[in-house]
Amino acid sequence: MTRPIRKIMVYVDGSEQSITAAQYAIVLAKALGAELCALYVVDTRALAELVKSRIFLEAEQDEYRRDLDGDASRYLNHVRELARRKGVPVSTEKSSGAVHVEIKAKVTELGIDLLVLGEISQIRSRRDELYNETERAMRNAQCPVLVAKGEDKIWDLYEALE
Amino acid sequence: MALIDLIEESVVRAPLKASGKEDAIRELVDVLVAAGKITDAQTVLRAVLDREAKGSTGLAEGIAVPHGKTAAARELTIAIGVSPDGIEFGSLDGQPARLFFLILAPPDQTGPHIEALAEIARMSRSKAFCTSLVACRNPAELVHMFKDE
Repeated sequence: MTRPIRKIMVYVDGSEQSITAAQYAIVLAKALGAELCALYVVDTRALAELVKSRIFLEAEQDEYRRDLDGDASRYLNHVRELARRKGVPVSTEKSSGAVHVEIKAKVTELGIDLLVLGEISQIRSRRDELYNETERAMRNAQCPVLVAKGEDKIWDLYEALE
Repeated sequence: MALIDLIEESVVRAPLKASGKEDAIRELVDVLVAAGKITDAQTVLRAVLDREAKGSTGLAEGIAVPHGKTAAARELTIAIGVSPDGIEFGSLDGQPARLFFLILAPPDQTGPHIEALAEIARMSRSKAFCTSLVACRNPAELVHMFKDE
């Protein structure tokens, strides 16, 4: 039987939840002998929205874009380090645009078999449901999606990994 | 983290006592000090006023979103103020601002900072919701309005 999960992608946005998701993806990749990829998306759609609504000045948009690029490198490096400690190879991808759109596109482009996401904030309104990027990625991705819940258990699994 | 998770009665001032732009910002900064969200009020105030000096964050429809990136905020933080009479804020449409969202974040939390601002930008498009918020007479009503939305 062909292995059902050969390529795993984890979406990292710098939140604690996404780092937990990365740890779980590392555990899964090792257990399944799967390839692992970590993705960070610079949310340029939100930046453009802020300029359009006049909350941001053009110069402010550029400044925050640079900050986000820095965040992308920092968080992807962090995932690389987490994976290195456990002897798991990981490739990293940085993209920019609307987060859920980019996640969906990368899943297709890279032939991902399983998308791992961090725990989703509680959805309290229809508006949350419409705009929460992780929620939208979960609904739109064209592959099985795993939401990594249970921070303590995942930490134990990651730490126990040899 | 969703914006709603940051909103609690201790970070809401309804109604604001201030009648001027700088005083309104100062009052919201003081709200955050009283709520234990920030400690260095002067640094925060300077960051927010420096940003305002480059261009008003007063939007249309009586909404203002003063914001700043400062290490004086340990994490993403919001204060909300309501001024039923309105405060001259140099807004786009020339109308006084009635609903104020002060957003602060440390320099290493750019992503959540942008998410929170974008959430407010989207919310500001709902005139009915913003009108309901301005009508709130105390913090409890406003928090209830958000949580119940």
